Amino acid sequence: MDPRTHSLVIVVGSGGVGKTTLAAAMAASSASAGDNTLVMTFDPSLRLKDTLGVGLEAAESVTRVKADTAGALHASLLDARRTFDGLIDRYAPDEEARQRILTNRFYDRLSANLAGVLEYMASERLFEVAHEGNHDRIVLDTPPTRQALDFLGAPARIVGFLDSGALRIALKPWFDKEGKLKATSRLGIVGRNVEGFLDRMVGLELLRDMADFFRAFAPLYEGFRERALEVHDLLRSPETLFVLVSGPGEGRVADTLFFARRLTDAGYNLGPIVINRVHPILEDPNLETESEGHRLLAWLGKRDHRAVAELRDLVGESHPVIEIPFLPDEPTDLKSLRALGEMFESGLDEALEKL
Amino acid sequence: MGILNRLDKLQLLVVTGKGGVGKSTVTAALGAHLANRGRKVLLIEVDPRENLHQLLDTPPSGGEIVEAAANLWIQHIDPRELLDDLVREKLKVGALVRKVLASPVHLHFTEGAPGLKQTAVFGRALRMVEGHGPKELRRPDVVILDAPASGHGIAWMAAPQLVSEVISSGPIGKMAAEIATFLADRERFGSIVVTTAEEMPVQEVLELLDAMSTRLDRRPELVVVNSIYPEAPEARATDDDATRLWIRRRQVNEAELARLSAGFDGPVAEIPLEPIDAGPVLVGVVGEHLTEAFEDG
Repeated sequence: MDPRTHSLVIVVGSGGVGKTTLAAAMAASSASAGDNTLVMTFDPSLRLKDTLGVGLEAAESVTRVKADTAGALHASLLDARRTFDGLIDRYAPDEEARQRILTNRFYDRLSANLAGVLEYMASERLFEVAHEGNHDRIVLDTPPTRQALDFLGAPARIVGFLDSGALRIALKPWFDKEGKLKATSRLGIVGRNVEGFLDRMVGLELLRDMADFFRAFAPLYEGFRERALEVHDLLRSPETLFVLVSGPGEGRVADTLFFARRLTDAGYNLGPIVINRVHPILEDPNLETESEGHRLLAWLGKRDHRAVAELRDLVGESHPVIEIPFLPDEPTDLKSLRALGEMFESGLDEALEKL
Repeated sequence: MGILNRLDKLQLLVVTGKGGVGKSTVTAALGAHLANRGRKVLLIEVDPRENLHQLLDTPPSGGEIVEAAANLWIQHIDPRELLDDLVREKLKVGALVRKVLASPVHLHFTEGAPGLKQTAVFGRALRMVEGHGPKELRRPDVVILDAPASGHGIAWMAAPQLVSEVISSGPIGKMAAEIATFLADRERFGSIVVTTAEEMPVQEVLELLDAMSTRLDRRPELVVVNSIYPEAPEARATDDDATRLWIRRRQVNEAELARLSAGFDGPVAEIPLEPIDAGPVLVGVVGEHLTEAFEDG
């Protein structure tokens, strides 16, 4: 239940609840406590990049954050296309094969758009850094909820695809040197009809590009499959802990419970649930009648605290629920990031004590 | 020409926005507003978890077209089902259809192929506004699509074009090209972006505007800025946490509104944060604010 004793911490939750900032804050605290820590984040806001004081080089490789923490703090920003290209650079058997993939129309158009590629690339990157073993702790910020489930399912999907038979079909030598379907010559008039039919349906050009792409990629498949299986295991290992971040609004409680159940059902190790950005209770209740604005503020404070109480009630006492107040200012530098991290840790200590 | 004149003409509107900004509430309020003006409106949602019916106080659609109010219908669509329908329609032979639908190749292809699902949803909307809807609603005047929150809205709007470029011939390619042409038609298709006046959501809107202009040569008809904190009192040393937060949030809202208008010269509707839980009452109040914003131009 304590992320400070796990080597991989995965921060998940719906969009717009401050997940990325919280992941960075947790990483900053972890580094302050003396652990060599890496924070990996998806599509980070420009401000987080500035907050951590790293530039675009963090999208290329793991970058050291200039922080006077007892343990080193590193950051890595995830960029799907770059990771994909890097993978090809590394695993393509020769320069010709590399060029063949990189210049393939199918790859070029689709690699950035292909559903699941971003998620899959993130898990590739996670595999890499986890294997290098350079860090005591990795804090991984994931994309918003629904994509997070995609991310978590990506390794299983890749294995499913590789085992589905789709690939065996794609890898057959369908085309001859002239770019004609092989069946054309072998099957005579039937073959020509097949070719005509396929050309009409989706266009032979596309099929040729696809066949090329899959063939050029073939040497990489076995590696993909192995790594995907390892990531699948890593995500479920006892060393890995999930932290679920939620906002306080009414509808969020149901969302959070839904997601918590999905995670535990899928065999992941669910740690603390964080309710972020809780509006404070208006200190002087007499102010409530002073203006419309005061009435709104009072309402927001009550609504958020009701949601926290409801979630605590539904989750049960055996599970830590941490409440973090809506801060007037989002962290803009390491100092404020660490302050947020401390807020998280003291909430965690309090929650753990109650268990 | 006012924004309402534009909205009254369009046949398909896509509402996009980051999660948690109140996109579905705005979609419902906008739909009700146009329905009140006498247009037949169909709201389509594709998020796996149905939401619109709760906001409009009707039973869940469960895939059917449900009448939510006079002139206002809702439908929940599973894009996968649409793709399976397409297979049924093109292949016709029952045994063949079953074989294809059960095959993992079909499953992986339609799950993974970019843009196919989006194209299928737009295809359904196009058929409806052209008068080929089912008997419950033969021909809506306008279809409003509540696009899923995931990623950038541009992925939705650019999908048919992408599909038509990759699959250049055949029935799928033809359908995609037809839809891409429809989406390029300024007289028929438009988009609405919903955001809050906070840094990350506004940043995403600015990126979306940029992508729309370079990839589609379009801009949204309207940007709705939701959940704006009310004007705050002067800061005092004795302020409590709640008041300090309020003052700061209001400052952020004002700064982000300014940043948005520096990057977008089209219509912006500002909706205040209200002490009302999400539901039909909030939809009504947001609808009133939208009406005011439209009247002010």
